[in-house]
Amino acid sequence: MIDEEFEKLFRKIREVERSVKDFVESEFKRILDSVEDVMHIRRVLSPTWYHEGYLRPLYTVYDRGSYYEILIDLPKVDEGSIDVRFQDNLIYIRARLKEEIRFSNWSGVGGETRFHEYREVIEIPIRINPEKVRIQTRRGLVKILVYK
Amino acid sequence: MFEVFREEVFGDFTIIEYKPIELEKPSFALVSLPDAGLVSVIGAWHIIKTLNLSEVGGIDSYIHLPPVAVISNKLLRTPIRIFSSNTLLIVYSEFMPSQPGIVQLSKLLANYLERKGIDYVFLMTGMPIPNRFEIEKLRTFYLATSQKALELIKSYDLIPFENGFFAGPYAVLLKEFVKARLNTVLLLTESFLEFPDPEAAAKSIDIVSKIVGKPIDVKELLEEAETIRIRARDAMRNVVRGLAQMRKDVEYAPPLYT
Repeated sequence: MIDEEFEKLFRKIREVERSVKDFVESEFKRILDSVEDVMHIRRVLSPTWYHEGYLRPLYTVYDRGSYYEILIDLPKVDEGSIDVRFQDNLIYIRARLKEEIRFSNWSGVGGETRFHEYREVIEIPIRINPEKVRIQTRRGLVKILVYK
Repeated sequence: MFEVFREEVFGDFTIIEYKPIELEKPSFALVSLPDAGLVSVIGAWHIIKTLNLSEVGGIDSYIHLPPVAVISNKLLRTPIRIFSSNTLLIVYSEFMPSQPGIVQLSKLLANYLERKGIDYVFLMTGMPIPNRFEIEKLRTFYLATSQKALELIKSYDLIPFENGFFAGPYAVLLKEFVKARLNTVLLLTESFLEFPDPEAAAKSIDIVSKIVGKPIDVKELLEEAETIRIRARDAMRNVVRGLAQMRKDVEYAPPLYT
């Protein structure tokens, strides 16, 4: 009889534990989603060009298992000027354009600015060892392989 | 402002025509929405420019499109624009509607193109491949929704898209155009997913121009490819998140049953 009561009590305790665990996980996920939304909103609201004359290139980061593949689109780049540096888990990219460009037929500061350079800082989830990095360049695209 | 010749409300969308739109037979339509590599948008933009098509109408929605006014040559335009010549109609948008909006827009376009008596519809878009960085010679796959559409393209160097998944705004357009019995040709050219791809657009345009019988030179597009890639950066960035929400990654999965 007492054993049954203890059994019921332990069952209840386990149920409560499970509920608390589920609640904590869902709240954590909600917070992460909010942070992701805020980061996305910040990123979406910031343009890919700056009136000082530099452009932020498009890039993607893929986790390929044993390495991260970072692909960066640098059209009209002077390939000899591409400068890639690493610090902790950050990749700093700078590259000059082959020639200054202007966006024609566009009213406002964006259409008046002359762009001459790409600049970007890319964050990846692991600390980068420069000796475990391979870089390929092809037709204005840069592929960086960062081995884990 | 623009002169409105005709205005029609279709669900949450409004179609505006600035002048009467009459097309000679056989008539073709090209629907261009942002998708992988912005292949369709870049391609349509180049066709409009090269053939000097006139802007004849537009489509807007306060619910399913961002609150955007397009200013072009000092004139106010709608986010989705319609251009035409005597035989070709192009629906062109740099803005992606919301997911429920794409369904309504597809039904609207199916209805509208059918009423305009369009004989053939082209949907050209990119087919993202993970090794696009290494590939120089791009392939184009096709899907024809009717025997008539198949007759149109069978003599061209295209590969049939036989099995697989296809996701995004063009999947919805295709389904609605099939329901409306429109003779539709879907052209999928290998491309980047997240970078503007003018080379893929040029490949698609080559095929469309031969079928439609209007010479469209892609030399200028290829020469300007790098400038276009720079110019289309913001548009591409805005599209990528929408494509992720539309499960574009599904295209990388092999089907279990065929």
